[in-house]
Amino acid sequence: MILGDLLDAPVVDSSGRVLGFVVDVRLVLDGPVDGLLAAPRVHGLLVSPRTGTSFLGYERTGLDAPALLARFLRWRHRGSFLVHWTDVEVASADGVRLADGYRRWSPAIPGVAHQRP
Amino acid sequence: MKRLLGVALGILTAIGGFLDIGDLVTNAVVGSRFGLTLAWVVLVGVVGICLFAQMSGRVAAVSGRATFEIIRERLGPRTAGANLVASFLINLLTLTAEVGGIALALQLASSVEPRLWIPVAGLAVWLVIWRTKFSVMENVTGLLGLTLVVFAVAVFLLGPDWASLGSQALSPTVPAEEGAASYWYYAIALFGAAMTPYEVFFFSSGAREERWTAKDIAESRINVLVGFPFGGVLSVAIAACAAIVFLPQAIEVSSLSQIVLPVALAGGKLALAVVIVGIVAATFGAALETGLSSGYTLAQFFGWSWGKFRRPAQAARFHLTMIVAMLVAVGVLMTSVDPIRVTEFSVVFSAIALPLTYLPILLVANDPEYMGEHVNGRATNALALVYLVVIVVASLAAIPLMIVTGAGS
Repeated sequence: MILGDLLDAPVVDSSGRVLGFVVDVRLVLDGPVDGLLAAPRVHGLLVSPRTGTSFLGYERTGLDAPALLARFLRWRHRGSFLVHWTDVEVASADGVRLADGYRRWSPAIPGVAHQRP
Repeated sequence: MKRLLGVALGILTAIGGFLDIGDLVTNAVVGSRFGLTLAWVVLVGVVGICLFAQMSGRVAAVSGRATFEIIRERLGPRTAGANLVASFLINLLTLTAEVGGIALALQLASSVEPRLWIPVAGLAVWLVIWRTKFSVMENVTGLLGLTLVVFAVAVFLLGPDWASLGSQALSPTVPAEEGAASYWYYAIALFGAAMTPYEVFFFSSGAREERWTAKDIAESRINVLVGFPFGGVLSVAIAACAAIVFLPQAIEVSSLSQIVLPVALAGGKLALAVVIVGIVAATFGAALETGLSSGYTLAQFFGWSWGKFRRPAQAARFHLTMIVAMLVAVGVLMTSVDPIRVTEFSVVFSAIALPLTYLPILLVANDPEYMGEHVNGRATNALALVYLVVIVVASLAAIPLMIVTGAGS
């Protein structure tokens, strides 16, 4: 399996309830140096109730212009969340199951310059 | 001083470059059927293209990315691929119309059958794309296109009933002999003629060809905001000419010879010669722009190297695309299809496809990751949202209206 196979995979919790779909995978570059760059590490999965327009990523960036469009696109992805990789029990192209007591984190990317609280 | 000359040249080429076969045909047809009752649409279209071209030029100058690079990057491969298919085909249709327009204009000048001119026109356009420097190509066709000002002169020489023209333009009503559906169908056609997508592909890619940076934003803004409105005035003049000569006789314009007839009536042979030069320049310029746009869109989507600033051998697929597009356009025209009809369809389909390019540009023009401090201001965004609604409504209404009105007939 490659990482791209995870995109659009359905996400369920430990009781089998559908939570949404994987719309993005968040990586951090904090591993040991591998060649020229730090080795990437999978930080977590972004889960959204729907997959359409998730590519635009308005729920992640805090971009709020043009106001109506930004609001609409963020509203479409309301209820999307980040789940840490440690909370992922099973990950395959057929679906992702989260561990019992997983935690929902904000989908926003921290530390982006234009982020507004 | 040099800067001032640059600005003046830019404005003049923007005026001449604004008009193409779509504007010529649609405005004349509309003038002959509806008088100036649709002149307001030209205003809406000109403001729209100013807004859109200004945004895409700024995005290209600041982020260094042309329209289809952004669409590919921002919409993902699947949506962008569907977008590419639609945009490429409509651009091809426009290219076909422009090459047909050159042939029709040359027929007026020479009385030689257009099908003999079509391969010549296609070859000439390709040779210019292959050999000529980008700036030379732009400036020569733009400046020669300025001769279309003769349409505005003709309006005065024809000595029209100004009060009636004024009341048509200022308090528009659907003419009694036309249905509301036809009126709105032609409103969309005029809107599509003023806001053809290729202008934006070309404008943003041209910004890269001429290596614009953030410093050139002000100059490009002046070119657009002054040049395009003057182009719009010429559009209305074309409609006014047709309204003065054909509307009272209830004659519908359906050929290029009818489009230039008011000018010939007003100014005789000399004016006719001038207007033919203008039409050849305008359609030739637009054929260059649409021909290049076919290469730009495909190359930018697939990430091929593109641009006339590279030698053809270094951008082989870009040039091959343009050659194939030109062969297809010539091939279609050789089937004796009427270029005027092709034009009428191309402007409506342009309106249908407009949201596909408008939305990604609007989103990126607001994204500080691309634009830094040059993101859209509040006023631009307010206007841009209004136009988003206009563009989407026109796009959705076009096909039903096309079916209801039998494509306006």
